[in-house]
Amino acid sequence: MNMRALTDGAREGTAIAVPSTPVPPAVTLPPRRRGKPRGKPRVSLLGLAMLAPSLLLLCAFFFAPAIFTGVFAFTNMSTSTGIGKGDWMVTPVLLRQLRDAGLSEADEQAISAATYVVDAEHVARAEAGGVDARFLSDIESRLAGETYDNARDFERDLRDLPSKPRSARALKGAADHFASSVLNRRYATEAAFAAALSTVAPGLAPETLSLVTERAYTGAVFTVENFVTLATRRDTLRIVGNTFLYVGLTLGFNVAIGLFLALSTFYLPKRVGSVFSALWLLPRITPVVLYATLWQWFTWENGFIYILADTLGLPTYNYMKAGVTSAWTIMILSNGFVGASFGMILFSGALRAIPVQQLWASEVDGASRLQQIRRIILPQLRWPVLFVTAYQTLSLLSSYELIWLTTDGGPGTTTTVWALDAFKTALWAYSGEFKYGLGAAMALILVVVGLTLSIAYLILFKFDDLVSRPKIEF
Amino acid sequence: MQLTLDKFTKSFGDTEVIADMDLTVRDGEMLALLGPSGCGKSTTLFAIAGIHRVSGGRILFGDRDVSDLPSQKRNVGVVFQNYALYPHMSVAENIAFPLEVAGQDRATIKREVQAIAELVHIEKLLNRKPAELSGGQQQRVALARAIVRKPAVLLLDEPLANLDAKLRLEMRSEIRRIQQETGITAILVTHDQVEAMSMCDRVAIMNEGEILQIDSPTEMYRAPVSRFVAGFLGNPPITFVEGVTDGRGDVDLSGLKLPLPARLEALPAGRAVTLGIRPEHFGVARGLPVPGVVRFVEPQGRETLFDVALDNGAVLRSIQPVRQDLSVGDAVRFNLDTEAMLVFAETGARL
Ligand SMILES: Nc1ncnc2c1ncn2[C@@H]1O[C@H](COP(=O)(O)OP(=O)(O)O)[C@@H](O)[C@H]1O
Ligand SMILES: [Mg+2]
Repeated sequence: MNMRALTDGAREGTAIAVPSTPVPPAVTLPPRRRGKPRGKPRVSLLGLAMLAPSLLLLCAFFFAPAIFTGVFAFTNMSTSTGIGKGDWMVTPVLLRQLRDAGLSEADEQAISAATYVVDAEHVARAEAGGVDARFLSDIESRLAGETYDNARDFERDLRDLPSKPRSARALKGAADHFASSVLNRRYATEAAFAAALSTVAPGLAPETLSLVTERAYTGAVFTVENFVTLATRRDTLRIVGNTFLYVGLTLGFNVAIGLFLALSTFYLPKRVGSVFSALWLLPRITPVVLYATLWQWFTWENGFIYILADTLGLPTYNYMKAGVTSAWTIMILSNGFVGASFGMILFSGALRAIPVQQLWASEVDGASRLQQIRRIILPQLRWPVLFVTAYQTLSLLSSYELIWLTTDGGPGTTTTVWALDAFKTALWAYSGEFKYGLGAAMALILVVVGLTLSIAYLILFKFDDLVSRPKIEF
Repeated sequence: MQLTLDKFTKSFGDTEVIADMDLTVRDGEMLALLGPSGCGKSTTLFAIAGIHRVSGGRILFGDRDVSDLPSQKRNVGVVFQNYALYPHMSVAENIAFPLEVAGQDRATIKREVQAIAELVHIEKLLNRKPAELSGGQQQRVALARAIVRKPAVLLLDEPLANLDAKLRLEMRSEIRRIQQETGITAILVTHDQVEAMSMCDRVAIMNEGEILQIDSPTEMYRAPVSRFVAGFLGNPPITFVEGVTDGRGDVDLSGLKLPLPARLEALPAGRAVTLGIRPEHFGVARGLPVPGVVRFVEPQGRETLFDVALDNGAVLRSIQPVRQDLSVGDAVRFNLDTEAMLVFAETGARL
């Protein structure tokens, strides 16, 4: 569930070769070919052998976590179920739940009822519990083998014994040692539980019995409950909305600022340009915790904005945590600045790949600077824009750490996004109850959305068109 | 439209590339800017286009001073060496671009694009992308884009440099045809003297930022102003031999005497001169027989080229209609047309 790794990838992204639009070669290209080149694919065993290490790594570090997430998503695994094998136990809480689910009152009482059995096992228990030895031997000799289904009958028989204790309390205490109930007792196997249950409540219908047995299991079980919960939960809609808004706005900011920076450094003198662009790398190279702290200094009480607002007579409050609009603004800006340099670097590279003669030509053709940017430059930045959009969408969708460190999804849940909610559900609940299964389900949905989006992007930007034309003809 | 450069100066930072250049291109004329690589031809061209700002002097289109106008406002057409077609636009869109940014209406644009495409013979390629065209086709598109706006001047920067030999020949006459059909004033920048001489009305020969001579190709070939110009024109090139005048109408080439052309017989003794002998003036039917030994034979199909070492060691080149009677090592006596010899002073100026 470490999603930080994903967003961190953007840093490495700076080293990615910048895709550039092909310069028209001066030789005749055959008409564009669609589809795959015909002929046998060239597969060699050696090639596969060379690929093996990376395939193994791929399996270990990519597929395995993905598969685990997929599997966990369909369980109700949480802190209370544990991640190992569970036991079978009926608790008063479970009984209440079962009643709500339609268990009859009679059945409930039957299950929760205690029976009293006089056998060697219970005698031993009573002995260990400190019951008077004479009284115990009386019980053993007179009542051995008896079974009572309520306390009253058993206690009446006990009172008839010669060596009964003086106080009614001691008698009741002794009787308790012979009580046998399924309530709050752990059974290691299903069979043991079922046996115990049919002993205390022999009148249960078979389907009731199996229902109780199933529900009594304390370990994780496979279920689609998580998805039902997510679909019906009131918060879901708000968090989905938040996520879309967050990704959309931050991405828009990223790409727009990245383009703006790339274009302005492109038109600026070289030296000024490089200083300018180096500045924008700062948010990217600052450790995230430090970066978040800087934003806190900037926006919290007695921070820069606070003092500025105070001086100007504007309302003063913790801008990061206390106002919805300001929290959103800070969330978009802080995340946006981190991503801006990524776009800037990619776009700058792509810009430099455009031959300067094309720009000259457009000027000579009468295009203003704006027309030049819109008609000549931007269309040729389609590839890098696609790349940044796709890459940043995915990393923004799964990024939460900066939000966690700044607004923490607040005020309330107003800035909580899907990934942050997933993280908190699975690993950071205030209640201490970590819902691994639900968290995994949320992560799985994120993965599915990410994949769908990637495919949509590829279609939208005619990615195929851009990559399928071979540069070298065989 | 007549184009005038008046004391045009261009520097990049501290390096002055062009100093006080004067040049007039007549209305409807095609002028070649010919010179070795790095002499400032493109710089001049780009200054005319407004891509480079002038550092001094004026550029006039007709009577209008355009020195301070941005390239957008100059109405020039430029064909770049690498064509600079917009790769993301189709051929039609490329050609339409200057009209579109000028805000012309759709119908006009469509009509103009069609007309120009027919003029440059690319009407069948209008829907292709530049990457799907051959070099010659790209060249035509670039040309069409440059002239679609009916520019005041057409500027061509080494337009044939990226083409193979056969296409180069074809495009040479094509560009000339289109220029003549449109009657547009044009400047062709090239380092290839054949291109300059075959395509243009006049040739301006440049070296190190200076125009050395402007003349029609024939005149420049016949009467170059300097040794540099003579050496630049002609293929195979002219041969130079150094000598000293003896005051009696001959030049002493240390061990060999050649007579000066009649008009220069009066040259005083003791002047160091350079004789320029073109290959077609050595090995002619009538002239002064000069003995020598064949050192190299280069058959060129229609003609054969001979390198002949004279008695004093100087090597003269001779081009003659194909002959196979000579081979390396043969002693020959080729006739030299001494009247056609070019004589240059020590300064390089022709006498
Ligand atoms: N942008 C520039 N900055 C500095 N020097 C330049 C620039 N462009 C050209 N030069 C110099 O000016 C001279 C002429 O260049 P150019 O006009 O391109 O030559 P050419 O005649 O081959 O077209 C060269 O010495 C070149 O190095
Ligand atoms: Mg040049």
